[in-house]
Amino acid sequence: METITRTLDNGLTVLLRPMPEAPAVSVWVGYKVGSRNERPGITGATHWVEHMLFKGGGKLKKGDIDSIVGRLGGKFNGFTDTDFTIYFETLPPGDLDTGLMIEAERMRNAAFDPQESDAERGVIISEREGSENSPKYLLSEEMWHLAFHVHPYHWPVVGWKIDLERITRNDLYTYYLQHYAPNNAVLVLAGKFEPEDAMRRVESYFGLFRPETQPPPLAVTEPAQEGERRGEVRRPGTQDHVMIGYHVPALAHADTAPLLVLQAVLGGWRGLSLFGGGFVPRSNRLYRGLVDKKLATDVSAQHRMQADPGLFTIEATVREGVDPAKVETAALEEVEGLRRKPPTKEEMARAARQLRVWHAYDLDGPTAQGLLYTWFEVAASHTLLDDLIDRCQKVTTADVRRVADAYFDETNRTVCTFLAQEGGS
Amino acid sequence: MKEAVRLKLGNGAVLLLHEDHSNPSIAFRGSVRAGAAYGRPGIAEFTARLLLRGTKRRSAAKISDATEDLAAALAATNGMESVALEGRCTRETLKETLRIFIESLATPAFAPAELEKVRGEVTGDLRAQEDDTRRAATRRLLELVYPPSHPYHADPKGDARSAAKIQAKDARAFHAAHYGAAGMIVAFSGDLETETFRGLVAAAFERLDSGEPPNPVPTPKPSKPANAVIAMPHKSQADFVAGRVALARTHPDYQALNLATILFGRIGLYGRLGQKVRDDLGLAYYSFSSLEARLAGGHCLVSAGVNPKNLAQAVAAIRAEMERLRTEPFSDAEVRDGKTHLIGSLQVTLERNPENAAAIHDIEYYGLGNDYLERYPEIVRGLDPESVRKTGAEYYDPDASSWVASGPVKGVRLSF
Repeated sequence: METITRTLDNGLTVLLRPMPEAPAVSVWVGYKVGSRNERPGITGATHWVEHMLFKGGGKLKKGDIDSIVGRLGGKFNGFTDTDFTIYFETLPPGDLDTGLMIEAERMRNAAFDPQESDAERGVIISEREGSENSPKYLLSEEMWHLAFHVHPYHWPVVGWKIDLERITRNDLYTYYLQHYAPNNAVLVLAGKFEPEDAMRRVESYFGLFRPETQPPPLAVTEPAQEGERRGEVRRPGTQDHVMIGYHVPALAHADTAPLLVLQAVLGGWRGLSLFGGGFVPRSNRLYRGLVDKKLATDVSAQHRMQADPGLFTIEATVREGVDPAKVETAALEEVEGLRRKPPTKEEMARAARQLRVWHAYDLDGPTAQGLLYTWFEVAASHTLLDDLIDRCQKVTTADVRRVADAYFDETNRTVCTFLAQEGGS
Repeated sequence: MKEAVRLKLGNGAVLLLHEDHSNPSIAFRGSVRAGAAYGRPGIAEFTARLLLRGTKRRSAAKISDATEDLAAALAATNGMESVALEGRCTRETLKETLRIFIESLATPAFAPAELEKVRGEVTGDLRAQEDDTRRAATRRLLELVYPPSHPYHADPKGDARSAAKIQAKDARAFHAAHYGAAGMIVAFSGDLETETFRGLVAAAFERLDSGEPPNPVPTPKPSKPANAVIAMPHKSQADFVAGRVALARTHPDYQALNLATILFGRIGLYGRLGQKVRDDLGLAYYSFSSLEARLAGGHCLVSAGVNPKNLAQAVAAIRAEMERLRTEPFSDAEVRDGKTHLIGSLQVTLERNPENAAAIHDIEYYGLGNDYLERYPEIVRGLDPESVRKTGAEYYDPDASSWVASGPVKGVRLSF
């Protein structure tokens, strides 16, 4: 299926993925603003702005988005990431206008009622505290904090609690006006619609918005790591966890394809999207080396594929009675062992096929297509999405070995451990 | 979505197909009535987890290699009544995927080494649940809601004691007694022609022995409402959950209660509950209602996660919203919006093969009739608003509900 690409005069990028047989239409808008665009003092602002954009403004009163989409039986949500913020509505096919109207109002007319922003402070802090209840969240926060000294990946998307207690309505509104503009956004339509008709509608909802001067691109580069970094979180709990991270290049880098193949060899492959389901991959080196050997109860590997150079991570839950140090050693043997024991022909063939076939599973349905094309467009380019899977098919054993050599090195790694203390249950 | 193709095989298995070539993949979703209700604690969980971990002919490693070499995926997940069977493949890999799946269903090995791995997984999962405010509160609540004599009372995973004791012979015996084709339902959706379905797919499932048809699970009687507090002083957020025994999926009032649940705490950003607790008071990131209706019965719940200092206020606010279902029942406009929501969401939900397969599976599982999707809009439009109001007030009655709070709740004065 071809992606139809248009750009409005005001700079809004529009991607159309018509699916004539689909029972729904999915409207997605992604903004190139994430926690990487924040500064100390307003960490968490991107995510808080996302919450505020469900509270009406312009043609929409508070609660209208929920009730309008709810009445139609649609799905809707918003996500904030380190690199982007995304909103969507999936609706019955005749209701494209509803999705476009909501997103147009959200782009320029949000209300930011001071009372509402204050009330939302409790919700945001509650969301953060809910995450703090999870040992895996605490471990992940420690990992990114330790691995990035300079780059904004240092702080969590939800923000530090001290900032969440102090951020003002004006901080949020200024941030919104700066980043929510057509020339900093992409609109993706996937599902049942007629492209030319859809473009006329897009033009009528978004065409009159003025572009805004965008801040200069983020000019922060994380200096090369020059030695292993280690962190521990000790809290009451019932299970120990180990997380290992290596600095790797950004999504758009040529090494992303070999790193994805390497991920499949190391930890298995369950697709790019959020729709992988509950299938556990077991034919991979980490599962065989950690779970089969009864050191861990689960293990995973992931190239995070971010807009700026980010992390490739390995996470394992330590089996009861096992020393976490043993899990770490076993994981490192598998990961860094790739440099000595490159993938076999069978492992390479399996990885390539999984990447190709799971891409088809990933693109099942308008919502799934909307998510992937929006994500790739705001983090790099949508053309990379299909191209990346093709490039993965051409990756050789030598390529995998080369990226393992380049990135899976002791001096480039961060190891964090959650050590469960008494009193966890 | 048109009516599914339905085949009932000689061994009792029912197969369904929704043919859809818009995505070059096939998803299937099935069930076998071998859930926790049918065995002693933990045995159903172990058996389901071991199902795809090796057969009499092939080791666990060979089964996973064969599956993943095809880029296919298979899973078996234990539930209260049944084990959910799931898979993904393509038309090119369907034959071999089914071969692995049927071999696993018919002749699992229950090898001791795999059993020990599963023991570690189950033990770990139980321990993770103990340390999870939301999961721990919900588990405790279900123990209060269902009487100890009913199979829905206990954790479907079992407990630490059962996890320590289960042996391969136990799983083998449970499998022999409950994994027959009689009562098995498997629904397919995707890039699969009816001819292939009637031929290749049916032939694969016909290889399974019939076994005994499943016995019905007894209908649960409600327990007397009770309250509990689980102290976890090391946590940041408190969770609480309230609930009671509700209805079976086949009960005549199910549709009315489902709509009441949607209106109370699901539609939009969590319905009336979300509007009050999240939107108006800013007390919680989430606060919602849910209805789980199975073959024999079910329960409805209200859940919320809040800062401990707001816990008492949130409990009071939710209790007030539950009481408001009596004093200010759903308006005609709310019911009308809920109806259009249900009709529209059915259409929107059926956009992917896994969801399509799950929908046609559930229609068969609950005996709703093969034309259910076609009739559904009329069923919803025909719902009497009074019955929606009545079931909402009855099943979200705060005084008939049990309540559980968990987290850093020491010193918090709670009035359930």
